[in-house]
Amino acid sequence: MPRRPPPRRLLLPLPQLPDELKQNRLTLTAILKSREPLRYSPAGIPILNCRLVHQSEQVEAGLPRSVTCEIPAVAVGEVAKVLHSKQPETEWQFTGFLATKRRFETAELHIVEIKETPRAGPQDT
Amino acid sequence: MKLLRVALPVPVFREFDYLAPAAEAVLPGRCVRVRLGPRRLLGVVVDLPLESPVPRATLLAIDSYADDLPQVPPDVLALARFAADYYQYPLGLALQHAVPPRGRQGAPLRAEKPAAYRLTAAGAAGLRNLPARASRQAQLAAALAGGQSIARAELLANSPAAGAVLARWLASGWIELAAPEQDPEREGTALLPDLNAAQATAVQAIVAAAASFQTFLLHGVTASGKTEVYLSAAAAAIARGQQVLMLVPEINLTPQLADRIRRALPFARIVLLHSNLPDAQRLVAWRQAAEGDAQFVLGTRLAVFAPLPRLGLVVVDEEHDMSYKQQDGLRYVARDLAVYRARLRGVPVVLGSATPAMETLWQARAGRYLLLPLPERAIAGAPPAIRLVPQRDKQTIGGIAAALRAALAANLARGEQSLLFINRRGYAPSLLCAACAWAAQCHRCSARLVVHLGEQCLRCHHCGHEEPVPRACPRCGDQDLLPLGFGTQRLEGVLRELFPAARIARVDADSTRRKGTWASLLQAILDRELDILVGTQMMVKGHDFPGLTLVGVLGADNALYSADFRATERLFAQLTQVSGRAGRADLPGEVIIQTDFPAHPLYQSLLRHDYEAHAESLLAERRQLELPPCSRLALLRAEAAQRSAIESFLAAAHAEGQELARESGGVRVFPAVAARMARRAGFERAHILVQSAAMRPLQDFLGAWRAWLVDNAPRNVRWALDVDPQELD
Repeated sequence: MPRRPPPRRLLLPLPQLPDELKQNRLTLTAILKSREPLRYSPAGIPILNCRLVHQSEQVEAGLPRSVTCEIPAVAVGEVAKVLHSKQPETEWQFTGFLATKRRFETAELHIVEIKETPRAGPQDT
Repeated sequence: MKLLRVALPVPVFREFDYLAPAAEAVLPGRCVRVRLGPRRLLGVVVDLPLESPVPRATLLAIDSYADDLPQVPPDVLALARFAADYYQYPLGLALQHAVPPRGRQGAPLRAEKPAAYRLTAAGAAGLRNLPARASRQAQLAAALAGGQSIARAELLANSPAAGAVLARWLASGWIELAAPEQDPEREGTALLPDLNAAQATAVQAIVAAAASFQTFLLHGVTASGKTEVYLSAAAAAIARGQQVLMLVPEINLTPQLADRIRRALPFARIVLLHSNLPDAQRLVAWRQAAEGDAQFVLGTRLAVFAPLPRLGLVVVDEEHDMSYKQQDGLRYVARDLAVYRARLRGVPVVLGSATPAMETLWQARAGRYLLLPLPERAIAGAPPAIRLVPQRDKQTIGGIAAALRAALAANLARGEQSLLFINRRGYAPSLLCAACAWAAQCHRCSARLVVHLGEQCLRCHHCGHEEPVPRACPRCGDQDLLPLGFGTQRLEGVLRELFPAARIARVDADSTRRKGTWASLLQAILDRELDILVGTQMMVKGHDFPGLTLVGVLGADNALYSADFRATERLFAQLTQVSGRAGRADLPGEVIIQTDFPAHPLYQSLLRHDYEAHAESLLAERRQLELPPCSRLALLRAEAAQRSAIESFLAAAHAEGQELARESGGVRVFPAVAARMARRAGFERAHILVQSAAMRPLQDFLGAWRAWLVDNAPRNVRWALDVDPQELD
C-alpha cells in the first residue's frame, strides 16, 4: 500500500554558504507604476503587488548608457500599507530582496523598505 | 422457572439465556431488564428454548419485564433478525433499532412530564407585551391564546426551544398545568389534488395491490407529482383502517412535508420519527405508532424499525438517496429493509424517485419491481432549460462564469430568486503556498484542511480538527498563502461584491448550525426576503421554492474525477434534483451548469432530461466491470493506529478469505488496498473488497469469514463488514 511521497522542493546542487554570508539585497530608485488593489492573506496580512519602473544612466564597459528596467514587486505586512499610501507615478527608493513566486517565473522585488529619493522629495513626472 | 433467550446490546454474536417465573406467558419480542456481569441491560426476548447449553444452576433470573416499553412486534423482530444476518451484525445490537430510544439505558423510564398547559389571567396580560423580536414566544402565545389546555408535545412541535420558554412562563405564573384534554376526534375529508392520467394509474395499481406484497418503482420526473400519488395511496390505506410508513432521506425535509401531509389528510394522526427529535418526543411517537393511534408515520431511515401493528403501505421517497445507508454500526440500507418489511407483512411498498438507483432499476427490469412511470410534469410548464457554460475562461470572475453572472443580474432585475449550488462549504477547499507548493494538511487524516475565513481557521471536514490560519508557510516562510478553489463562503463574498444591492444568504451546515436558523432562513426564502442563495446539497432536497427560477451549479465536475464507481450516478441524481428547484410554479426555470466537459455523456443526457440514456450507459459500464447491480459487493473495512497492524490483519484475512471462497463458488476476494482516505482521525485505513455474482454464495461466504474474523482479529484493529457498501472509500 504505497503512499504518495511529499512534493519535493527545487534544490540546486550548489556549494552551500552559511546564510549570513549570502547576499540578496537590491536598492532601486523607481517610479511606482500600476498597483493592484490591497489584498489580505488568509491570516489577515496585507499584501500589495505592483510594478516598478527604473530609469537612469549607468556606465557599462567604460561607456555611459541609459537604462530602463521594469520589474514586478510585492510588499507584505506594514510596508504594504505604506506602499498603498503612495501616489502612483511617484519616485521612491525601494529596498528589498529578490524572489520568484513559482518556478520559471521572473524574479519579484520583495520590498522591505521605502525611502524618499535622496535629492528631493517625491517628484511628479 | 422457564428459559428465555435474550438478545443483549453487546458486541458479541450470541444470545444469552435467563430464567423467568413460569407463571407468566411470554412471547418473543418482550423487553426485559437483566444483569450481565456488573452491567444492567435492556434486552429483548428472541426465543423460548426448552434447553440451554448453560447448566441451569448457573443461569441468572431476569430482573423484571420492561413492560413500560412497547414490545417488539413479530415482524420487527424478524426484520432485525434478517438485518443482523444480512449485514453480519450481532442481533442484540441490531435490535437496538427496534427498541424505542428512552429504554436503551435499561433504566426504568422516568414519569412523563405533565402533558398540557393552560394560559392564566396573568399570562394573558403579560403576553400582550412581548417584544416584537420574540417571534417564537409570540407563536407559543398564539397557540395558547384560545384559553384551552394544549398538549406539551404539540407546543414543543413548534420549536425545539419552546421547552425553555414554557418553563419560564410556568415559573412566572403565566401558564398553569392542566389535565390533557381528550384528543379531539380528527376529522375532515382528504384534500387531494386532481390526479393526471399517469398519477391515477399509479394510485390504482398501488391500491389494487393493497392486501399483497408488491414492490412498485414510482419513477417520476421532477415535479411529476410523486407526493400526490403517495398521499392518495396513503389516504386509501388509512380509509381501510391501516397505517402508513413513509421514509424520507433528510430530517430537513420533514417539517414541510409533514405540513403538506397534514393538509391533505386532516383526519390522520401524523407522527415524526427521526434522530433529531428529543428522546421523550420520540418515545411518544413510537408509542403512538405501536398502539396504532398514528395512522401516518413519517421518518428517516430509523423509522423502518417502528412498530406498526396495522401497517398497510410503505413508501420510500427519493429511494436512491445515500442517506438511507447507515454508515456505522448496523450498516443497513433502509430502502432494502423497507422492501423486506413489506414482504414480511404482505403489503405494497412504493419506491419513488426521479433518478432510481441502479439497483432498483435492475430489479424493475427483471420484473421483480413493478414500474409505475410518471413521464409528465404535473405542474404546467416546461422543464427548466439547462445550459452548460465553460467553468474556466477569461470572463470568469471569482469562479462565476460571465453567462451565469448575466443570468443572475437579469433574474435580480426581474425580482426572482436565484440559487448558486456548490457542494463545498467553507471559504476554499485548500490553502496553498505558491512558492514551495506546500498545502495545509490535516495531521490526522489524508486530507487537506479547508479554509474557513469567517472563523479564521483551517478545518478538517473529516475528523473535525481545527487550527488557526498560519501566518506564514511553515515550510518556506512565505506569508502570501493562497486559498485555492471555491467554497460557499468565498462565493458569498464574490456575490456581495458583484451584486451589492442584492439580499444574499448562505445555506450550509455552518450557517445553519444553530437550532432554528434553517427554519427561519427557509421562511425568509419563502417570504421572498432573499434574492440570491448560495447553498450546498442541504438546499436542494425536496424543498419547493416558488420564487426560485435560476439555479447555477459550480464545481459539478469534481464528481467526474472521483474514483468511486457510483460518483456519476450520484452526480446525475443530484443535478436532476438541483434542476428541479428551478421554476416550479408558473415561472419558467433556468439551470446553468459550469463545466469543463460539456461533451461528457452525463451532461448530454442531463440536457435532454434523459435518465434512460444515462442509466443505460451506467448499466453497460457496471456490466462490463461486474459492479452492482450486476454483482454484489461487500467490504471488510479495517482501521488501526499502526499501518503494520492492518496490513498483517488484512493479509491473514485475505488468505483465509481466499481459502473460504474456494469452497463457495463465484466469490472473489480481492487483495487489501489502502482506503481512498488512507488515514482518518489518526487511524490508518484499508479494506478488502469481496465480489460475487449472486447474493446467496456471498452471504454463505461472509458468515464463515465473519466467524474467522471474530476469532482472529487482533485487539488493536477495528474492523467491520459492510455489505452492499455505498461508498468504496
